[in-house]
Amino acid sequence: MSKVGFRLAVDIGGTFTDGVAEIVASGELVVAKRLTTHADPGIAVLQVTEDLLRDMRELERARGVEFECGEVVHGTTLVTNAIIERDGAKVALFATAGTRDVLKMGRETRYTLYDLNIEFPKPLIPTEMIFEVEARMDATGRVLTPLDHAAVREQVHEMKEAGVEAIAVSLLHGYLNAEHEREIGQIIAELHPDAKVSLSSRVASEIGEFERTSTCVANAYVQPLAADYLRRLKKRLAESGIRAPLRIMTSNGGFTSSDAAAEAPIELLESGPAGGVRSAINTANAIGIDDVLTFDMGGTTAKACVCQNGLPELTYRFEAARVARFRKGSGLPILVASTDLIEIGAGGGSIAHRNNMGLLNVGPQSASSEPGPACYGLGGEQPTVTDADLMLGFLDPDWFLGGEMTLDKGAAERAIAALAGHLGIEPLETAWGIHSVVSENMASAARVHAAEKGLDPRKLTLVATGGAGPVHAVEVAAKLGMKRIIFTIAAGVGSCLGFLAAPARIDRAWSYIARVDKIDVEKVGRALAALKEDIREDMARSRADADSTVWSLGVEMRYAGQGHAIMIALPDTGFARAGIPDLVQAFERSYEETYGARIPDGVPQVVTWRLSAQSEAKSRAFKLADLEREKRRVDQPDRQRRVFLPLENELGDVPVHQRYQIRPGAKLRGPLIMTEAESTIVVARPADVEVLDDGTVSVALD
Amino acid sequence: MPDNSIDPVSLEIIWSRLTSAVDEAAATFARTSFSSLVRDANDYAVVLTDRQGRSLAQSSMSIPSFISTLPRSVRHFLDVFPMDDLKPGDVLITNDPWHGTGHIHDVTTARPLFRNGKLVAFSAVTSHVPDIGGPVRNSDLGTIFEEGLQIPRLKLVRAGEVDHSIVAMIGKNVRVPAQTMGDIWGQVSAHNMLQDRLDVLLDETAFGIDLIGGEIFSRSERALRRRISDLPDGEYNYVLKNDGFGDPIVIDCTVKIEGDRLSVDYAGSSEQIRDKSINVAETYTFAYTVFGLKSILAPDIENNEGFFAPFKVTAPKGSIVNAQFPVATGARGQIGHLLPVAVLGALRPIFADRKMAEGSGNSVCTMVGQKDGVPFAVSNFLNAGQGATMDRPGYDCVAFPSNLGNLPIETFETDAPVLVRWKRIRQGSGGAGHRRGGNGQSFCFEYVGDAPANCSFLIPRRKVPPKGAEGGENGAPARLIVNGTETAPYLIKSLAKGDVVHVQTAGGGGFGARGK
Repeated sequence: MSKVGFRLAVDIGGTFTDGVAEIVASGELVVAKRLTTHADPGIAVLQVTEDLLRDMRELERARGVEFECGEVVHGTTLVTNAIIERDGAKVALFATAGTRDVLKMGRETRYTLYDLNIEFPKPLIPTEMIFEVEARMDATGRVLTPLDHAAVREQVHEMKEAGVEAIAVSLLHGYLNAEHEREIGQIIAELHPDAKVSLSSRVASEIGEFERTSTCVANAYVQPLAADYLRRLKKRLAESGIRAPLRIMTSNGGFTSSDAAAEAPIELLESGPAGGVRSAINTANAIGIDDVLTFDMGGTTAKACVCQNGLPELTYRFEAARVARFRKGSGLPILVASTDLIEIGAGGGSIAHRNNMGLLNVGPQSASSEPGPACYGLGGEQPTVTDADLMLGFLDPDWFLGGEMTLDKGAAERAIAALAGHLGIEPLETAWGIHSVVSENMASAARVHAAEKGLDPRKLTLVATGGAGPVHAVEVAAKLGMKRIIFTIAAGVGSCLGFLAAPARIDRAWSYIARVDKIDVEKVGRALAALKEDIREDMARSRADADSTVWSLGVEMRYAGQGHAIMIALPDTGFARAGIPDLVQAFERSYEETYGARIPDGVPQVVTWRLSAQSEAKSRAFKLADLEREKRRVDQPDRQRRVFLPLENELGDVPVHQRYQIRPGAKLRGPLIMTEAESTIVVARPADVEVLDDGTVSVALD
Repeated sequence: MPDNSIDPVSLEIIWSRLTSAVDEAAATFARTSFSSLVRDANDYAVVLTDRQGRSLAQSSMSIPSFISTLPRSVRHFLDVFPMDDLKPGDVLITNDPWHGTGHIHDVTTARPLFRNGKLVAFSAVTSHVPDIGGPVRNSDLGTIFEEGLQIPRLKLVRAGEVDHSIVAMIGKNVRVPAQTMGDIWGQVSAHNMLQDRLDVLLDETAFGIDLIGGEIFSRSERALRRRISDLPDGEYNYVLKNDGFGDPIVIDCTVKIEGDRLSVDYAGSSEQIRDKSINVAETYTFAYTVFGLKSILAPDIENNEGFFAPFKVTAPKGSIVNAQFPVATGARGQIGHLLPVAVLGALRPIFADRKMAEGSGNSVCTMVGQKDGVPFAVSNFLNAGQGATMDRPGYDCVAFPSNLGNLPIETFETDAPVLVRWKRIRQGSGGAGHRRGGNGQSFCFEYVGDAPANCSFLIPRRKVPPKGAEGGENGAPARLIVNGTETAPYLIKSLAKGDVVHVQTAGGGGFGARGK
């Protein structure tokens, strides 16, 4: 019997741990879902894995083949949660003499203007755990004061005595010359070998002592936890008979080896959302669409990401553990390449209320899952988005979460009627108002996000995921003037599909600020060679195919004296003096495109170099495997339902389809509803609706 | 519901779209701006007004002062260019301190927005431009004529046709014409975007701007008046003293609450100063007074003309907070930033739970010179300690009320020939008390360049430290120490290799007697 390869993806989310098994040759999928086990997240991972393996054995019997697992791709909120909940390791920091307050002082700004009692994010380590060292480089990386080894040895002893589990080292200009940081690293390895070590020059080799130190300390803070978790996970997988390599999804939308992840766990921060975006892009690419706005809406928040040319926008400035959840600047800065998402407080559980202006507002407060929307019947009395969607006929009270839960329509109507009374309008008008306002909140945020990137949302295609995404996508698109919306299959496990479509990817940065006419080309050459070697090692560890690796080098440039830099891609990963005129030309061209004009006497300057390697990103054509269980699930007759039609401003009968029962290639007309286990596609406007061969639903608004 | 009103759902959606349209225009402007103050410190704003210059919505992250100066600028433009004189495609410009934002470094432009041939609204933008001519930023200037280029209210673009003589005149008077004009054209792009977004919005709604504006104003005004009515009537006074040039400068602030009206009067404040640029035009006084009121009274109510209506702000003509042409105003923030502190001080008796001791505004160190044969210019903002409240200590080293961040040590050393010896929290500088005041900072650097550089400082609270409240002690005063000697910051200093500069910013006042 021949062996057939399959891959596993498992994503630990806040509520559910999702899993997907993919038969590599056919792209067929089997999905599983379990409640996340917060005390020991590895348990749910194992449960999901066992569920998937059981399904695969069923398929083996049915098809007379033998399956073999080729890889496991994993994403987790472990790192994010540890930073939010402050249950990381006991960490100490080595900082340059005179800078021990760097984490407390930050950039000295307020993230909100009118709050007199603003809450600032607290550093992850107390000041008494910050040790100053007498060692100094200047801004060219030249050593002014050599490292005092004897003093450092004494300090390491002191840290060991204090029970420190991980040590961060972040010295001024360490991004230019890592010598002192490495020497300290060696002393730690000798005197306190059990301690994990994070060097700023390795974790985030970028200019700006506050942000770099913050990143380095955050990495140290989660290192022991992540290493321990990954070690145990590997063991558990082995016990389930899986010998395949374990790969870890990172914030940049790619994956890395579990060993590399254990060293730089801070790169795991946004793995789940990065996977969701990757999945949306994969679905769009498969039907020839490259420029998309991904829209993921769940119970408490909605996220969106702009993607151009089939790539997610990345940001190199991320924030962890915001104290004011949706406020930029209220978190700990983290300098790692991350998928650039916006997040707002708009989800199914968002509470509608009358604001102090007498207007209908929705969110950001959420009823969450406890007590949940009024219609859950768990004690929630305030009207939520889900209650409105139910009253509008968009959701089926008897078929919520694939029939696992029934909703109390009467409770939803009572909650909304009460709010309608406060507002002085009709209940149905209120329900539509809630749907419309929450969609407008998302559309407004997306408009501004697109404008920041210089894009017009009307030229993008919306890709909807998440439990509430498909319910609101058409309305959001209509508000943004977008015509086309696509709905991925298995949206409820979207992040996992993204993991399976993700390439191996490693990003490294190095700051070296110089006017273009004064670049030390040899210095750049040496630094890039070192970065490349470093990346190559990590790529090898993630067992990426070296032949298909795509390298890219970019450098952030600006005119000397400006604050912000723009990224310029270089043609290859080497850099020579001969390339400088081209670099200047590319910069000036890009500058003109972005800002409208060049600066006649401006002197271009290089700031931060960014090298990345990525294994070839293959567009994966996924479809759901034909399990017996799936068939039973979709065995529902089509019927009609009264739903609210915004253009008619009244309720009307529209057809309700079982999404996975529709023949691929079918062409339908909206208004219509399509239900599936994880969500409901609501098309309440006239539109062409097509079910594509892979099950993707494509909607073109009239 | 009366026929002439908009339902609470439609209005919410239109309002939200107006705000996002303004934010889109703001994002467009910020990404094209040459000024690092615009990009890093949000030193700009975009406002949409109705055709009478009444503010409808403003960009969310803009610094507070411009929110109320911009609609006033539109009205000042209307005084010179009445509605009948305005054509589609016109762009108006000024940097006059009394018609703009209070100093010439901000250039303000406005574009009338038309619909079906009728004037319906204005888009207005202001921003700190990269250069406006004049000397290095410092407070030691006699009159406005020494500060740089003044642009009266002019029509920069006439029905789409650029007036090139204005462009040439500006270009000739600034050090970096391409960048300064680049920012002005960036403002024009923002206007164009707002015209486009407003068109789409009005296409999709049955309501006109006047009706929408009326609803926005009346709802905001009602909400604010309710808030004011809840406060006890009375007069509340606070006298704040600040460093002067001889006698301290006095800000005498009286807040009067009568029913649903609130007025602030600055009678008793010091007179304007003839040879320093720290004078404040009335428009900036109004802006920072309203900022203080909003922070304590109604941070949750939207900023628009309806929000301004219940407030009346007055100051004697010729006083430092209603300075008259032709005094210099470039460093107006030195005084203007004290106004919210004074307002909060006055309102202490009626906000038992929100009382706050005094804090200090930021210091700034500006340096220009040559590094490796190439000119450099850096501004380093050094923030100070803030006042304690009944419930918490004051914040250490935080920007207030402006929001200017620091320059990282690594950037400072890269851009200028300096070596930072330390940048620390100035422990013990916050005033003692039941809750201690926020600490200032201690910042020390050595100049290591071969060629000397010019360095100027703005350092508030050197003579009169931030006052404690309810028995809390004062914060420590700010200090400037050059080569071990206590030094006055006003004059521009020449730094030579080996010179050591040490700035200590002030600590905030403590709250309540210690041990209580």
